[in-house]
Amino acid sequence: MHISRYLLLLTIPVLLQSCWKYRNGGDYIDSQKKEWGYKPVYGTETEAKNILYSPVAEPVINGGNIYAYHDFIFQMETGRGIHVIDNSNSAAATRIGFITVKGCSQISVKDGKIYTNSYDDLVVLGFSSVDKVEVISRLQGVFTEYRYDSPLAQPPGNGYYECPVYDRFVTGWVRDSVYQNCYKN
Amino acid sequence: MRKMRKIYCLYIIVIAILSSCEKDSNSRSSSGGTGVGGSLTKFTISGNYLYAVSSHYLYTVDISNPANPVRTSESELSFDMETIYPFKNSLFVGSKTGLYVYSLDTPSKPKLIGEAKHGRSCDPVIANDSVSYSTLKGNTSCGPATSGLYVYDVRNLNAPELKTTIPINEPIGLGMADSALYVCCAGEGLKMYSIKNPYAPVERKLFTGYHFIDVIPYDNLLICWTEEGIVLYDITDRLLPVFIKKIDN
Repeated sequence: MHISRYLLLLTIPVLLQSCWKYRNGGDYIDSQKKEWGYKPVYGTETEAKNILYSPVAEPVINGGNIYAYHDFIFQMETGRGIHVIDNSNSAAATRIGFITVKGCSQISVKDGKIYTNSYDDLVVLGFSSVDKVEVISRLQGVFTEYRYDSPLAQPPGNGYYECPVYDRFVTGWVRDSVYQNCYKN
Repeated sequence: MRKMRKIYCLYIIVIAILSSCEKDSNSRSSSGGTGVGGSLTKFTISGNYLYAVSSHYLYTVDISNPANPVRTSESELSFDMETIYPFKNSLFVGSKTGLYVYSLDTPSKPKLIGEAKHGRSCDPVIANDSVSYSTLKGNTSCGPATSGLYVYDVRNLNAPELKTTIPINEPIGLGMADSALYVCCAGEGLKMYSIKNPYAPVERKLFTGYHFIDVIPYDNLLICWTEEGIVLYDITDRLLPVFIKKIDN
């Protein structure tokens, strides 16, 4: 009698284990095997949330959403920031700068202010002139689901990756030998 | 009684649409105002509110004071939301299971008023007063629905009605300017339709050479996001785009 109760107690957690799943859209696989894949790079909150404008064009690597506002076109560099394109003369339109916003994917602009996401935060940026971008406000944790669904929550490519820890800030991904725990296809 | 309420709701919506003065600024010459996003966006601003979707939530943020934005609602929904498109007093939300229409009568808390379900697929959406266009990509991880351009009559926002579907292999983003509809078809190119009859688009031309992902018609400019870079066309004549420039990646 006592032994069977003990066995039952042991069995329940084993059964429940199959329910544990990482909420990142990828599949969690319990594996001790290693494979060449992606590994998250973590940054401090200050590093992850630092907004920086550089008046130098950057190459588009993982181009995302586009947005037109007056003489500008913006294009998201998914997870990394915003490309600024001078479109005052379309025949000579060109990228003129880059705003670093980690964990971003979306953009909207109103009255000279850029609204974007940085992880699960809403960030409001002013760009009164082309070379002056300032943070007007940051509303923390407003987009709850972006925490697990942010563009940096998964690696840029397909295949195995080390499952990220979500109470830390993923600032990028590197190729490395990783346990076959998460898979993106 | 329920029917009466429905009719009453419809009446209010029609009045709201007719009286709406808020218009997306589509002009590059105007000062201030909002800009224009692509059809694949999950962010949009209407009036003093920012609306954002994630897979299962619609967030509303009051941005009347940009220095102090305030979230006014977060509604959890069961469907996988993909894109958001504002038109006048409504939000059109494309999801993996259908097209959803939200009323912005109370802008701080959008209310679901209409839906048209389809098979599982991916789904950006654009709309005007009478018609809504949506592309479904069925033959992918998104689901088994037939891939193509779906045309809905949305004169009754409470009951969008599917008018026709035009099969397209791999449609993605889309945009319209007056009598022209532009549909991105990945590696196949950019398809242009005449929509003089909005419910029966007629294919007019195919632009090839790039992998088209999304478009923004912006005044007389068609801004295309392609895998190879941003490609600009002059669309002074809506049905006769003229290549201007490619901004290389």
